[in-house]
Amino acid sequence: MAEEKPEKPSTVDFAREITSKLGGETITYCYQCGTCASSCPVAKTTDRYNPRQILRLALLGQRGEVLTEDAIWLCASCYNCQERCPQKVEIADVIYALRNIAISEGNIPAIYTEFATGLMSEGRIVPISKFLEKKRADYGLPPLKPTGIEALKKILSATGFDKIMFKKGESQ
Amino acid sequence: MTAKKGLSKRSKGKVKKMEEAKVGVFLSDCGGQIAKILDFEALTGFLKTVNGVALVARGSEFWRGQGLQAIVDAVKEKKINRVVVAENIPKISEIAITKAVEEAELNPHLVEVLDIKDHCAWPHKDTPKEATEKAKAMLLAAVEKAKLLEPIEKTEFPAVKSVLVIGGGIAGIQAAEDLADMGFQVYLVEKEPFLGGLAAKAVRFFPTDDCAICIQSPTSDLKTVTQTSRKCVYRSGFSEIPNLNVLTNSKIVKVEGAPGNFKVTVERKPRYVNEKKCVACDLCTSVCPVEVPDEYNAKLKTRKAIYVNKPLVYPPVYAIDAKACKFHECAKCVEVCPTKAIELDQKTEHLTLNVGSVIVATGFREYDPSVIKEYHYGEYPDIVTHLELARMLDAFGPTNGTVVRPSDGKPAKRIVFVQCVGSRDRRWNPYCSSICCMISLKHATLIKSAFPDTDVTICYIDIRTTGREHEYYYERAREIGVKFVKGRPAEIVHDPATNTLVVEVEDELLRRLLELEADLVVLATAMVSSENARELAEILGIELDQDGFFKEYNAKLRPTETKRRGIFLCGGATFPKDAPTASLHAHSAAVKAAKFLMNGKIVKDLKVAVVNEDYCGDCEFCPVTCPYGAITLEPKGEGHFVARVSELLCEGCGVCVGTCPVGAIELRHLKPSQISAQMKALLSINGTSKPLVLAISCSECGNAAIDSSGMAMMSYPANVRVLRVPCTGIVQVQHILEAFKAGAQGVMVVGCKPDGCHYEVGSQKTHKKVELAKTLLKAYGIEPERLEMFNLVYIEGDKFAEAAKMMTERVEKLGSLQLA
Ligand code: SF4
Ligand code: SF4
Ligand code: SF4
Ligand code: SF4
Repeated sequence: MAEEKPEKPSTVDFAREITSKLGGETITYCYQCGTCASSCPVAKTTDRYNPRQILRLALLGQRGEVLTEDAIWLCASCYNCQERCPQKVEIADVIYALRNIAISEGNIPAIYTEFATGLMSEGRIVPISKFLEKKRADYGLPPLKPTGIEALKKILSATGFDKIMFKKGESQ
Repeated sequence: MTAKKGLSKRSKGKVKKMEEAKVGVFLSDCGGQIAKILDFEALTGFLKTVNGVALVARGSEFWRGQGLQAIVDAVKEKKINRVVVAENIPKISEIAITKAVEEAELNPHLVEVLDIKDHCAWPHKDTPKEATEKAKAMLLAAVEKAKLLEPIEKTEFPAVKSVLVIGGGIAGIQAAEDLADMGFQVYLVEKEPFLGGLAAKAVRFFPTDDCAICIQSPTSDLKTVTQTSRKCVYRSGFSEIPNLNVLTNSKIVKVEGAPGNFKVTVERKPRYVNEKKCVACDLCTSVCPVEVPDEYNAKLKTRKAIYVNKPLVYPPVYAIDAKACKFHECAKCVEVCPTKAIELDQKTEHLTLNVGSVIVATGFREYDPSVIKEYHYGEYPDIVTHLELARMLDAFGPTNGTVVRPSDGKPAKRIVFVQCVGSRDRRWNPYCSSICCMISLKHATLIKSAFPDTDVTICYIDIRTTGREHEYYYERAREIGVKFVKGRPAEIVHDPATNTLVVEVEDELLRRLLELEADLVVLATAMVSSENARELAEILGIELDQDGFFKEYNAKLRPTETKRRGIFLCGGATFPKDAPTASLHAHSAAVKAAKFLMNGKIVKDLKVAVVNEDYCGDCEFCPVTCPYGAITLEPKGEGHFVARVSELLCEGCGVCVGTCPVGAIELRHLKPSQISAQMKALLSINGTSKPLVLAISCSECGNAAIDSSGMAMMSYPANVRVLRVPCTGIVQVQHILEAFKAGAQGVMVVGCKPDGCHYEVGSQKTHKKVELAKTLLKAYGIEPERLEMFNLVYIEGDKFAEAAKMMTERVEKLGSLQLA
């Protein structure tokens, strides 16, 4: 820990970086009241997640810690916190902004890369297995139709999705 | 004093029809200081050649002693009728000089004072020859202006020695008492049937836990009350001051007239009980059959339709709640009243008061926190606001001083306070209400001291104890075991099985989610402006700030005044305040109101704007622009209106002059001809090798910055010439064009900061005008860079010197201006 390189961008720089991103504009209003943390259903179930703490770390310029650890990926986007924040911080949207920055630097948790790969190859996040097909039949559901993968691929590459998700080509 | 008695009478004084101008010029070398730089021989020699100059005198100072006497003698004996003085710090020396001139029976407005030290000798000390030439131009400009000066007379306006105080809380009571003590006729108007306001409800105040409502006794009658005692309102004797009238159940519905002489209409709702007859025997309440929830006591008990808030109120007279009373259907109280005080047929009255000034002391109120859905106020009865808790803590209150759960009346053993409810919350009220932390600390301490077994927790974002001794209060609260949790609760939920409230909060310091169980939750609700603030502001013609409180003229310098003269503010009307601060504010407002009215008249030099009615095309620009609301449009014939200036309200800034598209308004004290004459003179002599630059500066911050650059001996080139106007707002595009025609190669406009303009809007307006002028210049083939506006303050003398150099270099680079 002690020998780690100091964080590059300063406190102000990281906050400025976040506020310049879509969804991140309101982060500097945060005055650490904790309403979000005590409103958050995820924080209630796991110690690994606390929205107030993420904002705190971000405002203190702890860029590396915020962007590389998995906390920002745990938000369930329920917007409970955002409804209640007395400073009108758009917390869930700030988390999206942070995720976007993380992704643009290739900091993508493995599970998301898997989702992306599935989407690109089969047009589905969850791959279809024999087991799944059988389950559907048991419930009387019709078999799944093909996804129109070629069209989807075109859309995904037109929006740059493929480039963003596989920026550094890592699929751990 | 030349002023005469009577309404708005003009005193022409000793001014006769003006004869030919005989200008006396008095040159001070400031104790010899500037004689080393300026060639005084040359200056006197030059002045003697100027047409109209009848006398030139040189001395070491002219604003006091022998020098001043020399001016007086010249006026009296040599029949000098225009006085030009080159003296140090004109703003100060002018006062003594004009006074002496007036005593010598010359109109004081026939004097022109200029500063050849800080505006010439010092900044150009390295180029003495150039400085002398510039001084010639400055003196010539002063003489040319002086020749065109006209006498300005004084006018008197009535100032009725009577004050209306709106709001009978702690601030209003004290302001009223101060003024009544000083001999003013005072009307204290309160909308409720009883005085006391929020302080009476809050019972005790911090940081002394003292009664909130005691006041300093009146001092007007030293026989009955001692000066040092403080007393409860009801026994203070303030109501016995003969010139103080308390009007309860009343509100202001109309204000007309002018500062010093307002006509105010007060609507007085009936009390149905004759104040002079009621002996407060309480027999009426025992027979009254109507019971309603007692709002004053947080609905924790009921009261009758005829009632008092609590014992010891002022006035000690019962009142009937018109919404609840059955009147003649019942009338039981009428029968039982031993003094026949109950008068069910009383009607709403309208009174007209003639007052010289008005003090707004309408206070503040608690915000209704039911809008914050996650706190469920109004839904779960055991969630209360801090004033509701205060009622429980009052020994005269609904629970006789014990703290209970409103749902079942059982003692509250676990109490959680929630801070910043609806305040510091950008969804509701973004500001900090400033006193709620202390109120909660007070309540927590009172509870913990009286009932030590009670578990008391305060959930806070920040604890703010900024006042004197307030931090000790916080210390004591910790000492006696009040618990503090840093975190703002997300929700308050109710467990019906146990009738317990649960406060969900993150203890941020532990980084742990807590569920605090409570019998009672107290919301430290935001404090907001009084309900009728907007309506009252409209009636009075004053402004509210962004948070809905009454806006003062200037928070630092005029904290109890408003933009409208004669209308003052105090107490919580401007922002939530604790009792000591409200008190301070009230005394201060009383002094300002007294100062405004104490002479019984307002005497004013008519340095005001006048409208040429033949030119005015009623475009409505000036009425909207005037920062003092001094201009109204008055009907003149069929469908036509003309602008008319109130001589009382006009401050003489000239912003209207700069606004009028047809040149229909001018200032009596700075006519267009005087501006032109000065401009031409300033630009008629160069004496330097550089192109002439004219700086049109306001008399306030702009001129102060120029003064300070000179005082600090910062240098800038002598080709820069200053033309002083009251406010840059007077500048018209045409003035700028005129300056170029008269020989300026560059024009600077130097004013206050846009948000610090002494005349509110002048600087901003001029900024726009300068931008417009640049476009026009381009059309005329003049480089727009030759014109620039600078916004400076006193401490920015260096910036003025820099700007002057910069503009000089800029126009040098542009080369000589060729006018078609
Ligand atoms: S609720 Fe809003 S202000 Fe409070 S800690 Fe969370 S983001 Fe910050
Ligand atoms: S939006 Fe995310 S951070 Fe906010 S409460 Fe829901 S899960 Fe928690
Ligand atoms: S001079 Fe100033 S105060 Fe007077 S009427 Fe004009 S704008 Fe208003
Ligand atoms: S700005 Fe000029 S024309 Fe317009 S109303 Fe005022 S005086 Fe009349």
